[in-house]
Amino acid sequence: MTTPPWRAAGGTAVQRPSFHPVSVRKNLGKSNSSNTYSTSQAPQQQQQPARRTQFPDALKAYVARTFEDCPSENKAEVEVSLKKIITDAFENETVWTIDWATHPLPAAARRQSTTTSDKMDISSGDDSSPASNTPTKNHSSNVSKGSKRKLSSRIASDKNEFTVTRPDKKYKKTNASDYSYEGPDAFKRLDKRYKRHQAKNVFSHYNAMHNALDSPAFAPIVGRATNLEKRYLRLTSAPDPDTVRPLHVLEKTLELLKSKWKAENNYSYICDQFKSLRQDLTVQHIKNDFTINVYEIHARIALEKADLGEYNQCQSQLANLYSEKIPGGHPHEFKAYRILYLLHTCNRTDMNDILASLTPAEKEDRAILHALAVRSAVAGGNFHRFFKLYLDAPNMGGYLMDSFIDRERLAALAAICRSYRPDIPFRHITEELGFENDAECEAFIVKHNAGNFIKTKESSKDDGTNKIVLETVKALPIIEAAKAVAFKKVDIKGQI
Amino acid sequence: MESIIRAWRTAHADENGKLLASTISLTNTDLEEFAYSTNPARVAEDIFRSLEYENNSSRPKITNKTGLEAWAEVYVAYWKVAQALERHDEVEWGQVFVAMKDMTQAVIRGFQNGLWEVWQLEVLYTACKYLRYVAIRADEAKRSNGEDTWKSLEDAARIINRAFNVCLNDRAELAQSRKWGTYYIINILFKTYFKLNAITLSKNILKALVANTTEMPDLLDFRTSDVVTFKYYCGVIAFLDENYVKAEEHLEMAYQLCHKAAQKNKELILTYLIPTKLLTQRQLPSATLLKPYPLLESLFLPLAKCIKSGDLRGYDENLARGEDWFVKKRIFLTLERGRDITLRNLFRKVYLAAGDSKTRIPVDHFKAAVSWKSGVELEAEEVECYLANMIYKGYIKGYISREKGMVVLSGSNAFPGTGV
Repeated sequence: MTTPPWRAAGGTAVQRPSFHPVSVRKNLGKSNSSNTYSTSQAPQQQQQPARRTQFPDALKAYVARTFEDCPSENKAEVEVSLKKIITDAFENETVWTIDWATHPLPAAARRQSTTTSDKMDISSGDDSSPASNTPTKNHSSNVSKGSKRKLSSRIASDKNEFTVTRPDKKYKKTNASDYSYEGPDAFKRLDKRYKRHQAKNVFSHYNAMHNALDSPAFAPIVGRATNLEKRYLRLTSAPDPDTVRPLHVLEKTLELLKSKWKAENNYSYICDQFKSLRQDLTVQHIKNDFTINVYEIHARIALEKADLGEYNQCQSQLANLYSEKIPGGHPHEFKAYRILYLLHTCNRTDMNDILASLTPAEKEDRAILHALAVRSAVAGGNFHRFFKLYLDAPNMGGYLMDSFIDRERLAALAAICRSYRPDIPFRHITEELGFENDAECEAFIVKHNAGNFIKTKESSKDDGTNKIVLETVKALPIIEAAKAVAFKKVDIKGQI
Repeated sequence: MESIIRAWRTAHADENGKLLASTISLTNTDLEEFAYSTNPARVAEDIFRSLEYENNSSRPKITNKTGLEAWAEVYVAYWKVAQALERHDEVEWGQVFVAMKDMTQAVIRGFQNGLWEVWQLEVLYTACKYLRYVAIRADEAKRSNGEDTWKSLEDAARIINRAFNVCLNDRAELAQSRKWGTYYIINILFKTYFKLNAITLSKNILKALVANTTEMPDLLDFRTSDVVTFKYYCGVIAFLDENYVKAEEHLEMAYQLCHKAAQKNKELILTYLIPTKLLTQRQLPSATLLKPYPLLESLFLPLAKCIKSGDLRGYDENLARGEDWFVKKRIFLTLERGRDITLRNLFRKVYLAAGDSKTRIPVDHFKAAVSWKSGVELEAEEVECYLANMIYKGYIKGYISREKGMVVLSGSNAFPGTGV
């Protein structure tokens, strides 16, 4: 944009009356009230009365506008017609009276200029006052500004028409004529307008990084402790470097813990040691493949011991580490665990998020495919498939499934009890619900107080084999109750 | 500057909220002019003078000194926004956001201090609306530099929440109450929370609303556009909570009230209403309903056809085809349950084909049907498992006799709700 004329002159509304002395020479009809508004060129005119050789600023803007969107091949043609328009204007002495802001552009340039309404808006905004007084010439793209002055009268009439309780109702209809249009596409237009500013700003990133590193609260410490083992203690103040082990010591610690776990299998000791190990990593801001390794090992041990709270803490840290693209680790394996874990917690929202986040490569991974199959089996109530998948879980998925296997067994048993009549062979339950043997199945049923309904039934075929069955009708209410209890919301510490 | 301040005066003279709001809008056509009309050293003085001038030449005067100061604060902040947007080769959105925050807070203060009236609420709307927009752009800019952040938007949400409280807790009599702004602001908040994936926060808003419900004007007295948006979000929240009955109620109302030309909005509502109705009423969308929405038509119509005809394989394929979009819209897990209905329809066909021996059908017949329609050879146990689930869920009336390998169906109404 060129500098708008009135801005260069520093003109404000107060200065406008200074135009009056010169208006006399313009042969204006009385009806033309525009002299109070027309404007911007006023101050300059006064300084230079030799108007003949002087171009009004509005005309300059008009010329600029003409060439702004003019395709280069049309330039010559436009120049000719422009010259004619201006010469005519001077000849007829209309150069100061023509409203250049709304004067039609030469034909060759006009085609393009009408389409770029964005630009037109701005230019008309600069010398808007003349436009408002010449409604007949109103340029199509000028609507927002041009009708401004008429607004007040329209509103006044609106006001009388609407008398309703809701305070904003009376302006319902003024929307389109408002001085700045706020349509449904307001944001789109904004986007378009500021698109050119979209380029990447390299420096802000650099600065942000530096600020983060310089801030004292984030300054990592480096430990000086050399003893391999350390009891976990929750930090209540800033960490003391003397009690924190540096990375090379921690690496030895991990080896020690691994061998101790194999030899002693003492979970409370191991868990405590791992927690202090993790703490030392955190306070020293160590985030590398070793960190991932520590969390993965701790997560697996926690899984094996069915300590889901601890497992989940590791899991959420691991998710962060993987997302930071730190090399190493087994992101697929743990993503599969995460899916199974969400099944356990019945968290549909997060499940949806994780489904949305799966990449094509992840959808090929065996462990993740298994977890997804488990998910769809649970969702569809396909217990037959579910228990088959349970017996065939890769990695440590089985341990995770253990956490909700009883619940799913009760759900399946409830469906079985409702649908089979008059009874169901005991062996069928053992097989369908993924029990290792009849004894385990029996223990499960007894545990849920349905042991009384296991009966021996004389075989009708008289081949001497008696069948053990479960009386479905009688067992149903008890199983239903047990199922309801099992499905009550699971709440686990550290759950994200 | 004068055009904006003059509009400020006109708006006050006519009590025109929309015009007033446009004087702090980012789409204001005079934004660039305004940005260049003064400089950081003079802006406060210039704006105050300008306001004072317009105020003094108004009959009656628009406001007193405190009022002028409140407005000056708003416009100074607005100038900073304009400056950050217009006077740089590259917009630094973080900067715009900081200025925008100041402006919104100045507007909220204006209402908090009781200076501004109900017709001026549009100003609050506009401020909140653009605050959210600018916050999104600021976060985007940061993210394109590799920083994973939603900080600006979270910040914006907190400020908009204050605007919500200003509206909600207004004690003035109803005709003059700022409570009339509540739903508009709530809708911006919902939008923001959804974007932030913090849907639980939306529930807090609803709780606060319920606690204040007695003094609130009736929902239907609000602008219909506000009501539709509000009901839509309530519906989606209930939907995500798996409260499908409530979800249906809200969404149905949103759909009924939605302006008939608001194609995009109707499409959004239907996106959730269709899966909801599938579960609550087992109702499928018709071709006519889906006709105006090519996207919905391409995804839902084939699915509906497969459900109707019991085409398991087609159902699975179409669900997988739309999976990305379904998951993104959070309707995948709900649509998945449509498989039950597909299966039920298939079993019903088996029943109808059985002829005379209708009440006793071998499990093998069902197995053959499922294997054929799903394209996978199934084990008898798995089909029994399906049947057991159907019976358990009440889709089928009857029982399985394992000993005889038979399904014994109820003599009447074996498939409830389907006419047989």
